[in-house]
Amino acid sequence: MSVLEFRNVSKSFPGVKALGDISFAVEKQEVHVLIGENGAGKSTLIKILTGVNSADPGSEIWIDNKKAEIGSPVDALNLGIVAIYQDFSLFDNLSVVENIALGLQVTRQKKVVDWKGMRKKAEQAMKKVRLEADPDELVANISVAKKQLVAIARALVYDVKVLIMDEPTSCLSQGEVEQLFEIVRELKADGVTIIFVSHKMEEIFEIGDQITVLRDGQYIKTASKDNITIDELIELMVGRKVTYETYGKRKMNEPVLRVENLCKKANFKDISFELNKGEILGVTGLVGAGRTEMVQAIFGLNKPDSGAIYLHGKKITIHSPVDAIKHKFGYVPENRLTEGLVQTQSIKRNLNVAILEKLKKGVFLSDTARSKSAANWMEKLSIKPVLPDMPVGKLSGGNQQRVVIAKWLATDPEVLIVDEPTAGIDIGAKEEIHRLLRELSDGGMSIIVVSSELPEVISICDRILIMKNGRIVAEMGEGATQEEILNKAVL
Amino acid sequence: MERVRNLFKKKEAGIITIFIIVMIIITIGNNAFLSPANIMNILTTNIVMGIAALGMLLVIITGGIDVSIGWVITIVTVVIGEFSTKVGGNLFILILVACATGAAFGLANGILVAHLKLPAIVATLGTMSIINGLVLLVTNGKYIRELPDYISGLGQQYLFKVEMAEGGFYGFPVIWLFWIGAIVLTWFVLRHTLVGRGIYAVGGNVESAERVGYRPKRVLTFAYVYTGIMAGLAAVVHTGIVRIVDPLAFKGFEMQVIAAVVVGGANVLGGYGTVLGTTIGVIFMGVINNGMVLMHIPTFYQKIAVGLIILIAVSIDVVQQTMKERRMVKVDIKD
Repeated sequence: MSVLEFRNVSKSFPGVKALGDISFAVEKQEVHVLIGENGAGKSTLIKILTGVNSADPGSEIWIDNKKAEIGSPVDALNLGIVAIYQDFSLFDNLSVVENIALGLQVTRQKKVVDWKGMRKKAEQAMKKVRLEADPDELVANISVAKKQLVAIARALVYDVKVLIMDEPTSCLSQGEVEQLFEIVRELKADGVTIIFVSHKMEEIFEIGDQITVLRDGQYIKTASKDNITIDELIELMVGRKVTYETYGKRKMNEPVLRVENLCKKANFKDISFELNKGEILGVTGLVGAGRTEMVQAIFGLNKPDSGAIYLHGKKITIHSPVDAIKHKFGYVPENRLTEGLVQTQSIKRNLNVAILEKLKKGVFLSDTARSKSAANWMEKLSIKPVLPDMPVGKLSGGNQQRVVIAKWLATDPEVLIVDEPTAGIDIGAKEEIHRLLRELSDGGMSIIVVSSELPEVISICDRILIMKNGRIVAEMGEGATQEEILNKAVL
Repeated sequence: MERVRNLFKKKEAGIITIFIIVMIIITIGNNAFLSPANIMNILTTNIVMGIAALGMLLVIITGGIDVSIGWVITIVTVVIGEFSTKVGGNLFILILVACATGAAFGLANGILVAHLKLPAIVATLGTMSIINGLVLLVTNGKYIRELPDYISGLGQQYLFKVEMAEGGFYGFPVIWLFWIGAIVLTWFVLRHTLVGRGIYAVGGNVESAERVGYRPKRVLTFAYVYTGIMAGLAAVVHTGIVRIVDPLAFKGFEMQVIAAVVVGGANVLGGYGTVLGTTIGVIFMGVINNGMVLMHIPTFYQKIAVGLIILIAVSIDVVQQTMKERRMVKVDIKD
């Protein structure tokens, strides 16, 4: 018996058809994976299901073989459709208890809040997800892993029928993912149906039962995980055959950057390494191993306590990103949404923001130079659509990532640091970013890639540094495998 | 002891500390400061500010601001003046009329901010200017005098009045009940009602608030309407104290209100703020103003001192927050 069925669900935004006639069914107690490239329509479908957006007339959603009217988030919640969002969607300014249980009070439309009942509900849910935290602590003050548990606990206070998990593992370490899957299996055993949105193939095959592929707002196929392979899935997602490219490991011997004994309390310790000209150096390890803190120290965003940085054998001091840029460093941060781009500003402005000095004509910015430079980079990195004045926030994830990279390439960096360059973007876009990074290194640029995705690191990096608890614990080159890296990072 | 320690972990701890220090300094400067008469005087002088600040608190928690509050109070005092001199009525009806008038202007602000999505400071600047004009148009800039007793005598009414042998008396001013009532009501709304928690939720994360089922537009509108109601109440109390309607009485008042709320620990970026903090903020500002008069500090210096104290009080809060963040360990380094 299907617990949930989409029947001809469409959604049009002015000028764009985001979803076209989506129809498929989700069976009770299964983990139904929703997969598709960015812009395939997954988020739109979820927004319709949770009542945040309304579908076009003629669209129908059936719950338990009855047509459901979902006009608002409260309607969806009352039907037992609950979502856990990728960004957790928590209230930093409220306590753990309230984050977990306030929503239930809202759906019950109570005028006066029942604090005792809320606490009871919250504590039950906390126990269920094994969250150990002070219930009265503000969510702003708890760790990321605990925030994730709060987000899950919040979903569990409802009478959940269908639980939507939108890329729930993107911020989690390996151990935390295992813990999450444990909870997913328990929920499934309790009769909950789960819609699991993910990009990560290993996860999909580990936790999923059925897999539905969307592409360009269209329904493509639903298959049992036993009847489909990763290659087939990828092909369905991108609509063409993709071969996962493995690049050779190059040997280089011309050090550009040397880091010696960099330390920062509670961040990282005894960091020493060299980076050669034209080399891609991978930095990997579990989330929380200190990778980002370490590269930010090199770029002047995180002041180290001690240690030295040498560029071409000369000791340099970097107090701020301004110093780093002067020394021809570039840094593409992990979170392009908040750190890398000004979402509401145009593509052109985002592309030019790091090179305004170069675009000056007298004391004013030259309009022609700005347009020219932007057009040039959009073409070079094939950023689409070619609308330089469109707000960057409207681009797909992959294109946004290219804009961030282009912004730094425009500064003509000698050392480029990229933090999780392909997080949250689809496979096709990933491959293109990989190719781009390799091309840049072939052109002589030295690149540090911080990444949690082991296949990525193995594929594009010449050497790999593995970090654990703030230290570099191993270096690998030719013949590195996922298992080996994982062993070093965990054990 | 544990209780006391918890109290000092709270956001209000910074301001309470400075508060105590300032009180000690003023008392050394002039020991009349701690006399019961002076303390009552401070509280009574700041009732209007105290009530208005409670309204402003809600708006600030949502991440907004209402710079029209001074002129909303003014126009309500004008309505009070016109209504009580021309229609008559009684105190109860007058309070209803005042709150309804305030609520109407609050609703206008709410619609502009929540539904038309104008930035709060722009929307309320606009309504502020319009109300300013309306007030001058109606009153011609002149006072309204000779109000009926039920309103003009309000400031002189006391409960439990005890005559002293040497003349004079002690008693509990009736207008204090307005402040206490507003404090209790606002506390209840913010702490125990769904919409009150929604104000924090919307101020913390609008998108999440919508996802759990709140309608942010309604919540925002409520905050501005509530501020309007508090402005109405403040106007009644003000008129009861000064016994005339002065069209220019609240020039620049909005900045003092905002300052008191912020000094009381509310975050202008939204999400944080408490009734306790705001009330302490109001009394604190009142104490400083009063204390500087008692210490014979010239007015110009007073303004400078008030500005400095606002900056110091808020800085302490920000520094505390930064230290807390720094203490949060990012990576566990094992040696």
